Amino acid sequence: MTQPTRTTCPFCLNGCTSGVEFNGVVHQMHYFADAEVNKGRLCPRGNSANIVIDHRERLCRPLLDGRDSTWAEAEALVRAWRSEVKPEEIAIVYSRGRAADEVRRLHGLAEELGTPNLACGHIEPENWFNARLEGVRDATLADIEAAKSMLLVGDVFNTSPVASWRMLDARYSDRKNRVIVVDSVKTRQAGFAHFFLQVRPGTEPLALMALAALIDPGAAHGVDVDRYTELAGVKRQQLEAAADMLGPAVPGFVASAMHTGRVVHPSLHSLASQFVAKVAAKPFTGFRETGLPFGPTRFADLRRAMAEGRIKLLFWTGGLFPFSYAELLPETAKVEHLIATSIFSPDPPVRGLVLPMTAELERASVGRSYWGEVERSPLAAPLSGTRQFGQMVEWFGRAAEKPETVVKPSGVDDVLAMAARAAGIPPATGEWLLIGEKKAIGLRGFHDPEDEVSVNRADAARLGASAHSYLMIKSPTAEREFRVHLADAVPTGVLMIGTNVHANRCLFPLAADELTGEVTVAPAPVSVEKTARAPVAASENLTVWV
Amino acid sequence: MKRIVLRPDYCIGCRSCEAACRSRFKGEARIRHGEVTTDALLPQGCRHCEDPLCAAACPFQVIVKDPDTGVVRKSDFHCVGCRSCALACPFGVIPPLLMRHMSQKCTLCSDRPEGPRCVQTCPTGALQFTEDDRMPEKKAGVGFAVRSVHGRRVQ
Ligand code: SF4
Ligand code: SF4
Ligand code: SF4
Repeated sequence: MTQPTRTTCPFCLNGCTSGVEFNGVVHQMHYFADAEVNKGRLCPRGNSANIVIDHRERLCRPLLDGRDSTWAEAEALVRAWRSEVKPEEIAIVYSRGRAADEVRRLHGLAEELGTPNLACGHIEPENWFNARLEGVRDATLADIEAAKSMLLVGDVFNTSPVASWRMLDARYSDRKNRVIVVDSVKTRQAGFAHFFLQVRPGTEPLALMALAALIDPGAAHGVDVDRYTELAGVKRQQLEAAADMLGPAVPGFVASAMHTGRVVHPSLHSLASQFVAKVAAKPFTGFRETGLPFGPTRFADLRRAMAEGRIKLLFWTGGLFPFSYAELLPETAKVEHLIATSIFSPDPPVRGLVLPMTAELERASVGRSYWGEVERSPLAAPLSGTRQFGQMVEWFGRAAEKPETVVKPSGVDDVLAMAARAAGIPPATGEWLLIGEKKAIGLRGFHDPEDEVSVNRADAARLGASAHSYLMIKSPTAEREFRVHLADAVPTGVLMIGTNVHANRCLFPLAADELTGEVTVAPAPVSVEKTARAPVAASENLTVWV
Repeated sequence: MKRIVLRPDYCIGCRSCEAACRSRFKGEARIRHGEVTTDALLPQGCRHCEDPLCAAACPFQVIVKDPDTGVVRKSDFHCVGCRSCALACPFGVIPPLLMRHMSQKCTLCSDRPEGPRCVQTCPTGALQFTEDDRMPEKKAGVGFAVRSVHGRRVQ
């Protein structure tokens, strides 16, 4: 067994210290109890670092149209393709897996190539925590430890489990301390709340704006509290009670999270959470998995350019292409030359050139955490056959790092106007609404099969279904059969599925956030019916453990 | 002996314990976060019983209780994968699914000087590795009580 390597986990912005030890055959996780942020503790994602390093589906040779190729052939092709196209026909997209220094390098590359088409392709709603409200401070670890009043919007515990122990310690440290949770699902986190506001899926921002108006009516002028509360499905008295607990005199913080398939207006969700922080004089943190900044071009515009055939060469650089964003394959199919980087063999196979990249865990990089900049050292030696990101960038150009686009913070009036517009948009209609749940990853290979749908008991009875019977869910874009998991945490008329696996993500049509026009994955109206498949009793079902 | 104790007041259901065990044993977790009722999911692991029924059921004495440490250990080399232990365990914590033709049984990570992985990784400190005689200190709900939305009392 070698000495354990030590680094900062790259899988989210919590900045946990993590490490692996190598026994000559496989890597195993190591937990550093002296770590300041996490005391050696890791979440399920953090615990899967060794699985990523040793994964049998790691890509270790270039693929051209699904068949094995060589680095020499790949390099020659990239150079030839690049000389064939005009600068404005080149597009660069970065997504999950790109470190901060790599994104800066891509900004330099776009400038050098003379293309305006550089966009962040991370379409998860959480990316909208890039939208900032002026005058709101970032929370520190000390703010969390000293908190007496905490507002958690969305499932913060699930997004950053390792950040939650400080929140729980603060909660238990004094019986007068208060935790308020605003969410559409009665999650495990809601079980720790003194006050839980269950809102209709996607209406969190309206409940938050009404809450802000009750904390400081002067700052939130024009907010129609009664209308917003009615749209969000909560009562005014509930918000008044929450407003009392969050008064500006009490130290605390506001934390917000967004899950794929659960947020309708990600931009407003981010800004409304910060607006409450501002009126309640609290610091704020938006909890998320990636810290990818927006590019100079909006992804929605780039997607349109691809669909219209205006892009001839696309360089898509993310660690997991096309796993994370397979729903975008129809657009990329219109591009003549596709060059993608991936650390895993693509599934489904992709047309074009797929280059095996060294995993983020296998190289030094610079990243961000909620608590500041972090430097990462490699956890393991690079997998042979893979190449570093920088080597591939060189095929396009020399490209020095260039600071990324900084988003101008929004003002209070912008947020008030956005909320007023959101309140005027009719909610999605239909009997059943499909929403997303973030499940723990790093299990059973890489993901759980996520073949269960959570539905409450009354709804299951309405559908004639019982625990472990099967439902067919049909959306405008796909259909899939799911086993029923009875969960009264889910509101009436709502079906909840995991959003890690592609088969589930396909059920959510890509939506445009009507407030910004940007691409997102929102709750989707679906139809559902019980299928003839016989229920599988828990005792017979090897994947359910009771 | 030392045991793994769960403080439900701190468990956020993140399944990190399961992921840590699974990432060590390449696929199979020996502690599972599963349903107790539809509203309560908790990690469930081996209790290292005083008189282990899994050991009694094993036809080849592959599972034994270590007289010194109290750990109920299983020697994978001699396991034939008959699943008798999985059927016999009254807590149902040995998965009936075989991995590499063997059943999977928690050994309290007794090969590790730092102790159990699941305990070390638990993000909130809900899982603890504690001597039997310190158990009473780990009782839940001893601080103050608040009724949560799940109707349970929390410390
Ligand atoms: S909380 Fe974030 S930084 Fe910590 S282990 Fe999990 S993914 Fe890594
Ligand atoms: S790791 Fe800890 S908090 Fe997470 S499910 Fe296991 S016991 Fe609960
Ligand atoms: S003590 Fe070790 S083997 Fe047992 S459940 Fe925990 S991690 Fe798995």
